[in-house]
Amino acid sequence: MKDAFEAGLSELLGRTVEISEPVLLAGGASKEAWAVDAGGERLLVRRAAVTVMHHHTLTLAQEYEVIEAAFEAGVKVPRPYGYIADLAGREAFAMERLEGDTIGRRIVQKEELATARERLPVQLAEELAKIHAIPAERLPFLPEARLERMVEELDEVDEPHPAIELGLWWLRENRPTERPAVVNHGDYRVGNVVVDPEGLVGVLDWEFAHLDDPVRDMAFSLVRAWRFGVPEKRLGGIGDVEPFVERYNELTGLDVRPEELDYWELAGNVAWAIGTLTQAQRHLSGRDRSVELAILGRLSAEVEYEICHLLERANA
Amino acid sequence: MSERPTAQELTEAILEFLGGEVLPTLTDPRLRFRMLVAMNALGIVYRELAELPVEDDSELRELARMIRADDVPHDALPRVQASVEARLRIASPQFLERYR
Repeated sequence: MKDAFEAGLSELLGRTVEISEPVLLAGGASKEAWAVDAGGERLLVRRAAVTVMHHHTLTLAQEYEVIEAAFEAGVKVPRPYGYIADLAGREAFAMERLEGDTIGRRIVQKEELATARERLPVQLAEELAKIHAIPAERLPFLPEARLERMVEELDEVDEPHPAIELGLWWLRENRPTERPAVVNHGDYRVGNVVVDPEGLVGVLDWEFAHLDDPVRDMAFSLVRAWRFGVPEKRLGGIGDVEPFVERYNELTGLDVRPEELDYWELAGNVAWAIGTLTQAQRHLSGRDRSVELAILGRLSAEVEYEICHLLERANA
Repeated sequence: MSERPTAQELTEAILEFLGGEVLPTLTDPRLRFRMLVAMNALGIVYRELAELPVEDDSELRELARMIRADDVPHDALPRVQASVEARLRIASPQFLERYR
């Protein structure tokens, strides 16, 4: 493996580099993450883990292009180094390896990150405003998300989940006035950002990027599943929503209202409930056998419970 | 209830994990032996679960179908909530306990 990395990275950097032994990091069922130093550069190499990609996400090459576009737009992302079509038989891309925490539970609870947590609501708003300003023409391959697509994904699972159906029904009945679609990160939340004691260092995991209502992207970080044991803090277990929304409105000139956030928070929960089932299907279908994926099918009940609660609140 | 993965499918996933990933790393002969015995026991559970009748999910399917067709019964939410709660008591009792 080291030889393949050395060849691939030398070609990418345009010079022969010596590299450290690549270390495979934990996590990431559809993409491997390798930490490797090459010619003095600290790199993270994302490499396809399975040949069959989830068909509702971007390809690795597309994801790389999104990171490039975000980098050009001044979003805090790891510096992109290049795309490698064949790294020991699979495609990959290399980017800067940022230092900091990415594990949600640590970001939400770690003592040393208390100051970071105070800054994060505003910082998250600032990066999101920059992401939403990326010109959509720059990324013509981005799909447009619609409620209908969530329904299609649920149908592919073919299990009865009336709680999810009820959520989808409410979303159909209560659509807010449509805002012009912008480039959405698609999975913008604690757990997909790098945080150090000073605050936000970088935004990761762009494979769900698509065109959508901007408030959809904002509200994804409110979904209860990603509050990591601190459910009373609605913004990702780290803080209040108000400073986040205020700063976002200030930067974008929009007037995002609380009831829109409520709508898209429910939509985020519905999307994640379906996501857990889709992930479990990867195991059940035999594509990627793994206990971690399997158990997600049962954790759907947690998300569905939250959907019921949000519906109760909306009807009150 | 038609929970997926079923208890049997979960057992199967654990068996694969233990046999494929854990067992090959065990060098202590005593631990290896005990792991094989444990997997054997889990195999019994797996086969016993296969004997259970498939649970009837027709009521859930009917409710899901009605809601999809915009024909939402007035008591849909409490019914749905009760069924999700029952699933949670199995899948994640701590979540239910700590919920607000």
